[in-house]
Amino acid sequence: MTEIIKVEGLVEVYSDGTRAVDGISFDVNEGEFFGFLGPNGAGKSTTIKVLTTLLKKTAGKITISGHDIEKHPDAIRRIIGVQSQDTTVDPDLTGKENMMLQGHLHQMGGEELKTRVTELISLVGLADVSDRRAGHYSGGMKKRLDLASALVHKPKILFLDEPTTGLDPQSRAAIWEYLSKLNREDGITISLTTQYMEEADKLCQRLFIVDKGRIVANGTPESLKREVGADSITMTLENGNAASETKTRAKQVLGGIPAINSVIESDGGLTVYAKNASLIIADIVRALDAKNIHLTSVNFSSPTLDDVFLQHTGRRIRTEELNTKQSFSRFGAARRPTRE
Amino acid sequence: MSFVSDTYHLFVRALKKLIRNPILLFFSLFQPIIFLVLFTQLFSKFATAGGFFPPGLTYLEYATPGILLQNGFSSALQSGTSIVDELNSGMLQKMLVTPVNRSAILLGRLVTDAFRVVVQSSIILVLAYALGFNVATGAGGIALMLFVIAFFGLAWSGISLAIGLRTRSAETVFGIGGFLTFPLLFMSTALVPASVMPTWMSDVSSVNPISFAVNAVRDLSIPNWFAAGDIASAFIYIGAIAIITLGATLYLFRKVVK
Repeated sequence: MTEIIKVEGLVEVYSDGTRAVDGISFDVNEGEFFGFLGPNGAGKSTTIKVLTTLLKKTAGKITISGHDIEKHPDAIRRIIGVQSQDTTVDPDLTGKENMMLQGHLHQMGGEELKTRVTELISLVGLADVSDRRAGHYSGGMKKRLDLASALVHKPKILFLDEPTTGLDPQSRAAIWEYLSKLNREDGITISLTTQYMEEADKLCQRLFIVDKGRIVANGTPESLKREVGADSITMTLENGNAASETKTRAKQVLGGIPAINSVIESDGGLTVYAKNASLIIADIVRALDAKNIHLTSVNFSSPTLDDVFLQHTGRRIRTEELNTKQSFSRFGAARRPTRE
Repeated sequence: MSFVSDTYHLFVRALKKLIRNPILLFFSLFQPIIFLVLFTQLFSKFATAGGFFPPGLTYLEYATPGILLQNGFSSALQSGTSIVDELNSGMLQKMLVTPVNRSAILLGRLVTDAFRVVVQSSIILVLAYALGFNVATGAGGIALMLFVIAFFGLAWSGISLAIGLRTRSAETVFGIGGFLTFPLLFMSTALVPASVMPTWMSDVSSVNPISFAVNAVRDLSIPNWFAAGDIASAFIYIGAIAIITLGATLYLFRKVVK
């Protein structure tokens, strides 16, 4: 395996002193499908901006396909394709014209470009509307056009920032399938930045969990989840309202089962963590039943990436997503980077 | 060479955008056409009576060069809105992750602006011709005239682009553009000669770049007014402004793309 991306000690400090990226190092092999997972403001997008030559790093060393990012940014731009978080298509140009322009800017032309554009545009299912102005496209169509134009010049590395945000489930599934195929069949290295854990879980061979400008964990989605070490069983009790006597008794009973690591009170009931929890569900039910405590529901769940995140940062991604609806500064409009 | 082809492709793109939004072109032409049709009529008697205006000229003949320049600079002053749009829509970012020549992005914009001013000026010229305006120096004179106006426009585009890059706000670009237009126009010899102005105003007018440019255009349109010196000094003056404004634009643009 050859390394295609090599990042050592990347630091990005904004002019207001924010350390958006605080010493990130990682390597990516050619053909890998890797991802960054983390809440808003974790430093994912900043890292991608640096890797795609849009932002100058404050410190660190980055080599992409053997080219130093500082010395040969143009060599890197030739081999990367980028789909940014905000879908960008020119609304006044047709779908085809958007892609042709992208090709022209990559110094492509003639029949080669025409063939490539026709091929890609039907691949993303826009052949019928390729001569209509992109301004008339739906959100999903624009996303697909944006993705297709990132591929015109046959990049070796594709950077995707939230590629399916705001898409309906069918479009999302179609894009997932297409991305897997690109990676599998054409050997394109793909970098995915996302807040959707399901997406990261499904697509990425390797994940970097990012929090507060650092990589706090990395590995395959499976190995990361395995590290959590425990499944969870969430149950609700009959008459099990907050601080009820039933609940207290149930907690005592559960505490007596040796396989259970911990018991946590949750909204309607109790959550227990245990290794191979599926094997002890019966024990739990029986033990509670013996004490005349009845369950209204039992929910078993394997560790999710959210549990992984919780374990490494002490917080859940989900709640952050809901609580911090940040506006994204586009292109550093609000915060300009400086060099230290 | 990527610089030339990139500039060309970005120019073609901007041209398509312009053609597909004809309403913009219409609105830019609206004001000069009102001036050409109504304002010249309003002033027509002043021009021939009272000895304030050069003898033997209709007001249309006197004012058309001024209206041409007014159009040149008021539409150039909107140029910055386009760069704000590119910045805020993410299109600029999308271009910057390609190996596109950085200067071509700016030059593509400027060539488009110049082209637009030439097209608008030609429309105004045709209309003025229909109303009785003539260019004494013929086809060559018209070409040089359009060149002066386009060059003049570029200098103002520079201001507008710099404001756009600095503020990233289309409203600010529009606001400052609108704010500059009329004071500069009225304190110049675009619509009346300096001899009818109060002293302070004629002083301002004598250093107003619009006055220099309008003199050059009148030299080309009015019979026997041609003076190579006027045209040369217009070019030098506009050139100096262009160096400053486009220099500022280039500086700010480099900061943005870095």
